[in-house]
Amino acid sequence: MTPEQAFDQYHQAVFRFLYRLTRRADSAEDLAQETFLAFLRTPERFDGARGSVRTYLFAIARNLALKEYRDVRGEEPLEGTEPLAAPAARLETGVAVAEAVSALVPLQREALILFEYEGLSLEEIAAVVAADVGTVKSRLHRAREALKRTLAPYRKGGRVHGTVG
Amino acid sequence: MEPLDDRELDGMLREWNVPGAPSGLRAAVFGTPRPWWSRFWTLSIRVPLPVACALVLVLAAVAFAAWRRPAPAVLKPAPAQVIVETRTVEVPVVKERVVYRDRRQPSTAWKPVAELRPRIIRSGQHEN
Repeated sequence: MTPEQAFDQYHQAVFRFLYRLTRRADSAEDLAQETFLAFLRTPERFDGARGSVRTYLFAIARNLALKEYRDVRGEEPLEGTEPLAAPAARLETGVAVAEAVSALVPLQREALILFEYEGLSLEEIAAVVAADVGTVKSRLHRAREALKRTLAPYRKGGRVHGTVG
Repeated sequence: MEPLDDRELDGMLREWNVPGAPSGLRAAVFGTPRPWWSRFWTLSIRVPLPVACALVLVLAAVAFAAWRRPAPAVLKPAPAQVIVETRTVEVPVVKERVVYRDRRQPSTAWKPVAELRPRIIRSGQHEN
């Protein structure tokens, strides 16, 4: 696959992934550009035996985003048990979801985005983040559990706990 | 408050939509297309390192061989055949004759000469 073909096929997915990670369109565009430039400069570094072009591009994008995160946030932990923050006020559901996902710790956030929004399998996510499948599954589970609690106030229709009668 | 279940969470996650990639991203990555004659001057060819090394060695060997090539041999004319011919040539030889005059003198008048003066008479010259 040539770099041009890879761009045509995956640039939207890479941009969406970076946008959800960074929550900024300008950062996402810059990082997406760097991702494909990195692929363009050294296409021979791609090893088809280790994964697909898609996972390779996501891995480059993920590493660039992580580097930028560390440059901005310093030594904040990438993994933890509690979200860093929660949506403060009543928001539109879509915005609330964005805020809640952004509040996840980085390693949980990336696993959730890749699984829920880009449709990668657990094995593909493990290849992207350079972790084993069990670790990815654990991060995904904790991310979903945190979101279930954080987004409960935005439940549609409301549901009353307990029995009526 | 009771947490969401999986189905509710999945439904809520789908409500987060994001914009698409900007249209200028392709140009930012690959540059603006230029006419072929403009691209020609900046065209580059990627050569694997072993191939490049082999080409350099071949060029160096050719250059070295050209530098060391001996001067082309000058064709020498075939040596002339030497024919030995023997001829007898008569060379006039000057014959010189030494004449001794024996003027006998009476013994009583014979006396050893005080000084001997030989005269060389060449052929054709007579002297009485």
